[in-house]
Amino acid sequence: MTSANLLALHALRCIGFAALSRVSEATGLSEADTESELIDLAAAGLVQYVPGDFGAWGLTEAGRAADAERISGELDTAGTRPVVAKAYDAFLVLNPELLDLCTAWQMRPVGGVPTWNDHTDSAYDSRVLDRFADLDQRLQDACAELWAAMLRFGRYRLRLTDALTRARAGALDYVTDNMSSYHIVWFQLHEDLLATLGIPRPDPGHR
Amino acid sequence: MTWIHPIHAGLTEPASVLGSKGYGLVVLRRLGLPVPPGFIIGTGACRAFLRDGRLPDGLDAELAAAVSGLETATERRLGGPERPLVVSVRSGGGVSMPGMMSTVLNVGLTAGATAALAAETGDRHFALDSRFRFLSGFAAAVLGVPPDILDAARQVAGSDGESGLADAIRAVEELVHRRSGAPVPDDPVRQVELAVRAVFASWDTPRATTYRTLHDIPHDLGTAVTVQAMVFGNRDDRSGSGVAFSRDPNTGERAPFGEVLFGRQGEDVVSGTSLTRPLPELAGREPQVWAGLPAALDRLERHYRDACHVEFTFEAGELWLLQVRPGGLAGRAAVRVAVDLADEGLISRREALLRVTPPQLRHVRTPRMGTAEPGDVLTRGLGACPGVATGRVATTADRAVRMAAGGPVILVRPHTSPLDMHGLAAAAGVVTARGGPVSHAAVVARAMGKPAVVGAADLTVDVAAARVSAGGRTIAEGTLITIDGTGGQVVLGDHPAVPAAPDRHLHRLLDWADEVSGGGSHRDQEERLAAAHAALAG
Repeated sequence: MTSANLLALHALRCIGFAALSRVSEATGLSEADTESELIDLAAAGLVQYVPGDFGAWGLTEAGRAADAERISGELDTAGTRPVVAKAYDAFLVLNPELLDLCTAWQMRPVGGVPTWNDHTDSAYDSRVLDRFADLDQRLQDACAELWAAMLRFGRYRLRLTDALTRARAGALDYVTDNMSSYHIVWFQLHEDLLATLGIPRPDPGHR
Repeated sequence: MTWIHPIHAGLTEPASVLGSKGYGLVVLRRLGLPVPPGFIIGTGACRAFLRDGRLPDGLDAELAAAVSGLETATERRLGGPERPLVVSVRSGGGVSMPGMMSTVLNVGLTAGATAALAAETGDRHFALDSRFRFLSGFAAAVLGVPPDILDAARQVAGSDGESGLADAIRAVEELVHRRSGAPVPDDPVRQVELAVRAVFASWDTPRATTYRTLHDIPHDLGTAVTVQAMVFGNRDDRSGSGVAFSRDPNTGERAPFGEVLFGRQGEDVVSGTSLTRPLPELAGREPQVWAGLPAALDRLERHYRDACHVEFTFEAGELWLLQVRPGGLAGRAAVRVAVDLADEGLISRREALLRVTPPQLRHVRTPRMGTAEPGDVLTRGLGACPGVATGRVATTADRAVRMAAGGPVILVRPHTSPLDMHGLAAAAGVVTARGGPVSHAAVVARAMGKPAVVGAADLTVDVAAARVSAGGRTIAEGTLITIDGTGGQVVLGDHPAVPAAPDRHLHRLLDWADEVSGGGSHRDQEERLAAAHAALAG
């Protein structure tokens, strides 16, 4: 099982610069425990707190390198690399669908032209949310093995389900618009799969 | 049962059978415009395939006959040891579902046909490039290999030369073998059949199903398949691909507009992964191709009585049209085109009013950037979130946050990841080199309401040196730029958004609306147009 220390470090690797509450949400640890780990990590020079109005925690360069090494070591020790690789493969098939759905949630064609979805047509919105639910089910099926093999990945299952449940209950900002939204959690899962497998995001440029 | 229809001017089947792309090709042929020879497998065959899980009886024989007809027409032979026939296999239903279904290009390029193509053209690089494109397209469409995985395989191969291409081909061949347990078939007839099946099957992928659900398109229509002799935009330096509009889709002005990509096939234009050039650059390099396009667009406008755009390829200086679409303009451009077409006598004023829907007028009010000097344009990408923003360039999220304390910044990134979120939050707008309007960056920008330009393909971001380059120019971090998240322009300096009014075309259209409805001009614009629509309907 991933140590609390690595959980906190790796959360910052996947969610970016974030306030304590968001790190805590990503790790599933209490805020007090998360803060304690972050302070230890800061003492080791792996993370830093940037104060200010939007005070937040972020990785240092050393922290990024340490995370890559420790996460990769964890995979090898636990022998879970094939499970993660398989889940990443399935994820890549589903990712374009998620992006289609987020776009359909935000924009909808009027006379053939994409226009902001003003969310006044609840029938349209519920059709989109039905497709989100369908996609979510397929992600859950494809990743069931991953959730079970690595507890820290299982956290995404809870966070995605939570976002979708809230959105379907009427909190529409949980689809794309807040930092706990379905899209943001999915985006972090994407980053986590890449980071865990040590795959850089493909560079722009030409063959 | 006749499943297959050769493309010719006398073909009378409707778009519901031929698909709108196939139907457009027949229109092009009727107007005497250059269309590569080919045939269309109607939507009925797709419906039968999806119902029964196999190709319908008789399709095999018809396919063989159609291919043989194409061999005769082109004096080429599929998989032949000399003059090999290479085909494109494209999807296209009666209702457009852009990007949702599969297409496989360069089909028939077996190892032997590739060698034959190299011998015929004396250009091994070109033949290998085409073979590589075939394998990638086949892996994606037939075997469902995700693009990221293909990108990774081809990046391993690296260099662009012949040996790099050979490496890339090997990498994709191995990838296919590993994932499917079998190599890509080296039988050209089998390649065509598998490509056709893949296109049919792509009708029922979850993405396509979702698209239809959200856009009220029935699920039982099926797609047609258009099979044509390939024309090669990657043939030589007198070849290329592009898209051309009869009127500027940003303004509606009647002027040649579009983009061209020299030495590449059309998928590179559409995918936004390569650097396209403004269409008028054709004038100097390929004057005949350049002259052919406005002539063709003019004929098409008169046929459709609407603005049109075409996808084209030119091979060794010869122009071919691969697709035509009428309409599809937004906002001010839609208004201006409707008014201009009425003035030109192509449509009546009544029709001009009906061409613009009241909600479309909302787009007219979207702020757009003022006209910039051509020399000020740094690059162009795809508009992903409407609006105009001006600010200083920041190349990392951290710097964006720091610089934002001193005034607005534009975050300019190769792509975005969750690690850029705080930079996006701090920035007034965002530009990315990679990605399309359907990417994480675009979704996040829209969620935050930040103007965004994505897929600015010629943009390179040098984070270490804190500078960005595009269009042969390099600017330092901190340089002031303006971006337009509708048109996708990235311009040096401060170019404030133009207030939506006054637009003389809009005023004229609304005057016509008032004449029709008998109403006054004190109401809001949408009401005035809606009243005219009601009067015309009644």
